[in-house]
Amino acid sequence: MNAIEVQDLRKAFKIQKNREGLKGAFADLFKRQYQEVVAVKDISFAIPQGEICGYIGENGAGKSTTIKMLTGILVPTSGSLNVGGYVPYEERERFVQNIGVVFGQRSQLWWDIGVIESFQLLRKVYRVSEQDFKKRLDELVERLDLQDLLNRPVRKLSLGQRMRCELVAALLHNPSILFLDEPTIGLDIVVKSEIRDFLKDMNREHGTTILLTTHDLQDIEALCSRVIMLDDGRIIYDGGLEELKQRWGTGREVLFQFGRATKLETLRQWTAGLAVEWSAENDLNAKVWIPLELNVSDVLGRVVGQADITDIKIIETNTDEIVRSIYQSGSAEKADEAAEAAKAADSLADDTKEVSHV
Amino acid sequence: MTRMLYYLGLIMEYFKNYMKTRLTYRADFWVEVISDLLFQATNFIFILVVFMHTDSLGGWSQNEVIFVYGFFMVPYAVFSCFVNMWNFSERYIVKGEMDRVLTRPAHHLFQIFLENIDPPALIGGLVGIIIMVMSGGQLGLPLEWWTIPALIILTLSAVAIYTGIYTALTSLSFYSDAPTGILPLMFNIQNYGRYPVTIYNRAIQILLTWVIPFAFVGIYPAALFLQREEMTGMALLTPVMGAIFLGIGLLTWNMGVKRYKGAGS
Repeated sequence: MNAIEVQDLRKAFKIQKNREGLKGAFADLFKRQYQEVVAVKDISFAIPQGEICGYIGENGAGKSTTIKMLTGILVPTSGSLNVGGYVPYEERERFVQNIGVVFGQRSQLWWDIGVIESFQLLRKVYRVSEQDFKKRLDELVERLDLQDLLNRPVRKLSLGQRMRCELVAALLHNPSILFLDEPTIGLDIVVKSEIRDFLKDMNREHGTTILLTTHDLQDIEALCSRVIMLDDGRIIYDGGLEELKQRWGTGREVLFQFGRATKLETLRQWTAGLAVEWSAENDLNAKVWIPLELNVSDVLGRVVGQADITDIKIIETNTDEIVRSIYQSGSAEKADEAAEAAKAADSLADDTKEVSHV
Repeated sequence: MTRMLYYLGLIMEYFKNYMKTRLTYRADFWVEVISDLLFQATNFIFILVVFMHTDSLGGWSQNEVIFVYGFFMVPYAVFSCFVNMWNFSERYIVKGEMDRVLTRPAHHLFQIFLENIDPPALIGGLVGIIIMVMSGGQLGLPLEWWTIPALIILTLSAVAIYTGIYTALTSLSFYSDAPTGILPLMFNIQNYGRYPVTIYNRAIQILLTWVIPFAFVGIYPAALFLQREEMTGMALLTPVMGAIFLGIGLLTWNMGVKRYKGAGS
C-alpha cells in the first residue's frame, strides 16, 4: 500500500510586484501588478509504506512547498494527493493525528517551559492516553539520551539537544508517516549521525514511512533507498540511490604516494592496455582515473608490484558530485551533457570528496 | 461532546502553562494588571468629568452610564483574555508560525486563541462586576432570578460579537502581506459602544448597531438590567447578533486559511 500518492500536483503563488521608485510605489497603491510563480509543476509520485525517501533539490526548487502541501499546511492549486488515506487539506484535523512533522528551522516546542511540559501539552493536543504516552516517552528518551534535558526550558538547550527533543515531540503520538524538512541543518557530525541512526531504527522497528528533504547528501546516503530530485518545480530523478550512482558515477580515482621518484611515463607503461588516465603533480604523487568497467584491483596489481608505494587512497565518485552534475544539466535524462558537467565540477570539488584509506 | 471536553481540557492545559511561565516573571504579571486597570480608570474618570458638566447624557443618568461601563468591562475582559490577535500577522504569517499550528489536530483558530491567552485581563472583568453592583445598588436595581443567567448569556454573546469582528478583520492578513492599521481603528470604535447610542447621529447609530455592532457589547445588553424598555428588544437580539457575527468571522477565517501561503522556503 502506498503511504503517499501524488498525482499532477501543482502549486502557484501570486506574488505582488513592487515597482521601482517613489512613482512606482504610488502606482502600486492604485493598481497592483501580480506575478504568478509556479513553485511545484504537476509532479506525480508514490511512496510505499515503510520507505525512507529523500527529497532533494536546490534552494527554491519547490521541496518545502511540496512538503507543506503533503502535511496539509498549503492547499494545492491543482492535482490530487492522498497521504495515509486522507486528503490533507480536506480533513486536516483528523489527518495530522497520523503524521509527525519536524521543520529544522522552526520549533514545535514552547520556548519558556521545560521540555517535559511541552511534551505533556502535546500529549493533550494529540489525545494520547497516559499509559501510551509514558511508554512511548520512556522509549524515546532512553533511545535519544534525553534524561538530563527533560526539565530544562527549551531556550537553554543547544541546537543538537533541541533537535533531539523536536524528534520526540513529533513522534509522541506514534505517527505512521514522518515528514522531516532539513532535520540535520546546522548540527555537528556526532548529532547528525545520532539522528540518522535513530531514524533508521524508527523505520525498522515501527515501519514508519519517512520523507525527508535535505541539503546534506550524507543524510541521503545513510538513510534513503530512494531519492526524488526536484529542479525548478519538476521531478528530474526518481529512483534508487544505487541506480543513480551507477548511471551517473563516471569512475573512481586512485591516489598514489611513492617513496621513490616515479615518472609518469613509467606508470603509463605499466598500465598499458587498460583504459585509465594518469596525471601527476610531481614525481612522488600520481593520480589515476579508472572507469567503472575496470576493476580497481587490476590496476593496483600492475602498479603495486613494481613501485615503491607509501600510501594509496581510493576515491569514489560520491552522491554530492553526481547531484551537482545533475543540477547543472537540469535533467537526469541528458546523460552525455551532464557527464561533461560532472567532470567540470569534479575539478572544483576535490575537497568534498569522500576519501577511504586502503 | 467529547470534542467539547477535549477543547475544555486544552484550555486548562494552556492556562496551566501560562501560569508556569508567567509566575517566573511575577513583576511582569502585576505590571500588566496595573496598566490594564489604569487604562480603565482613565475611561472611568472621563465619565465622571462629563457628568460634572451635565446631569444626563441623552436621557441617561450618571449611575446608569457607569453601570453600562461596568457591564462593558465584563465581556471585554473575557474577550481580551481569550482572543488576542494583535500580533497575529507578524507572528503567524510573516514568521510562518502558522505552519506549526496547521500540523496539529485542533482547530487552527482555537489554537491561536490558546497560544495567546492573557489571564490578567480577567481582573478588569472583576472590577466591572464590582462597578455594576455598586452603581446598580445606588439605582436600586432589583436582583431577579434571571439576572445572573442573563448576564452570562449576554456576556457570551457580546464576546462572540467581538470575536467575530476581530477574527474577520484578522483574516485579512491571509490576503494581504502588509499588516493593516484597521485593528487599532476598530479598537477605538468599540469604545463608542458603552455610551447611549441615542446621543450619536443617525448614521453612527446604524453603523454601531448593524455594521460593526459594538452597541451590542455595551449599551443594548446593559439596558436590559437598567429596565430601559426602549432598548429591551435590542438587548434580546444580542445573542442573535453574536451568532451571526461569530459565523461571519469563522467563515472568513476558514476561507483565509485556505489561502495561507507560508513563509520562507
